[in-house]
Amino acid sequence: MNIYQQLFLRDLKVSMKRWSDLLTGIIMFILVAFIFPLIAGSDQDFMHRIIGPVILLSSLLASLISMQNIFKPDLNNGSLEQLVLSTHSLSGLVFIKILSYWISSSLPLVVVSSLIASAYYVTGIDIAKVMLTVLLATTTLVNINSLAAALTLGVRYPGALMTLILFPLSLPILMFGSKAIEYSILGMDISGPFYFLTGMMLLSFSLGPIATAFAIRISID
Amino acid sequence: MNLKQIYKYGSPPNYFKLSLKAENWFLIPGILLIIVGCLGGLFIAPPDYQMGHAFRIIYFHVPSAYLSMSAYAYMAGAALVGIVWRSNVAFSVAKSIAPFGASLTFLALVTGMLWGKPMWGTAWVWDARLTSQFILLLLYLGYILLHLSIREQRKADLAASILALTGVINLPIIHYSVVWWNTLHQASTISKLSSPSITGDMLWPLLVMIFGYGFFFWGVICRVVASEILKREKRSKWAKQYIKELQ
Repeated sequence: MNIYQQLFLRDLKVSMKRWSDLLTGIIMFILVAFIFPLIAGSDQDFMHRIIGPVILLSSLLASLISMQNIFKPDLNNGSLEQLVLSTHSLSGLVFIKILSYWISSSLPLVVVSSLIASAYYVTGIDIAKVMLTVLLATTTLVNINSLAAALTLGVRYPGALMTLILFPLSLPILMFGSKAIEYSILGMDISGPFYFLTGMMLLSFSLGPIATAFAIRISID
Repeated sequence: MNLKQIYKYGSPPNYFKLSLKAENWFLIPGILLIIVGCLGGLFIAPPDYQMGHAFRIIYFHVPSAYLSMSAYAYMAGAALVGIVWRSNVAFSVAKSIAPFGASLTFLALVTGMLWGKPMWGTAWVWDARLTSQFILLLLYLGYILLHLSIREQRKADLAASILALTGVINLPIIHYSVVWWNTLHQASTISKLSSPSITGDMLWPLLVMIFGYGFFFWGVICRVVASEILKREKRSKWAKQYIKELQ
């Protein structure tokens, strides 16, 4: 097993051990999405109109909660320093870390989003489209999140600051994600927003780990 | 000017002296231009045939909007130089620009609201320019707060600079994704260089104001950068000597 596979499995195990963080994220996701119709009314047309923004905003909040601790415990127990000191490229290691965090924190959201979609009276193939949108959006969000978490490593209570950094950067994802869901419910062609989301995902995966690695290096030394 | 001379100003004492010297070269023309622009804009320019006298807020709105955006570019440029050469001077420039950029953005938003209320009947619309201006304000605030909340100067500089550069990559994406909404904001008045949709009487005070804002901005920045450098270098020999000479 090479170091990348080892790191991947180790991070998965660690995040399973800290399952309360992950659970809080998922609960947040469900909570926001389920409380919205209770407050704002629940007739079908209205639900169809708001599902896009609601589902993306709640996935942003959920990933914010579960990703706050992506680097901090590792910084405290010294394993992050070992990663920086290792001979392997830190960007590559960070990429693996992000990937494993995406699996443990965001893949459940993709599954749960099908539940939410059917609660919002979305039927048939559209549920799959909603899930695909959440999948594409969270892969980008995870990268932006990890950058924000790495930048705020030196801050004692990073929550509010991370939110301030995260929201403007993730705005295009939220907009195009909700557009994709809206189009799919209206039965229109969704390839435009999907191409955009996929492009943003590739961009964030190619630049995100590099920037995150750089930010980690700053806060380590 | 060859590269060696530029490198010379990478050292804090040299840059300190340069910015103190340059301060008045920017500040005085800036103030003069703003006075001339105000006179021209508020008294000489004819009232607009549709908007009447209310259009005169353009002379404050457009320059601050221009400058708020270009200030972000300056800040990000300084941040990039700082990251590449680890230059303390460049970091001080970036740090000093941030609060001014934020306040210019705020000013652009406020004057826009004041203008929008009588003209469109509403102070705020969800259109591309307003929204991206608001996002720009958030980016500035993120930079300032991140810099404030990290104790160690060097780490704060580097982390905030990365944030500034991320913002540069993201700003065009944000802007063009917001543009998809139909836009209520009137089209830019002087971007069409060949035939601007504004008469000469109205145009020249605007240009004067834009340049005045720019000069004034750099004058203030020179002074703030100088004090920032002095604060950072307060333990060095030249700074102590300079302070002693002042007393």
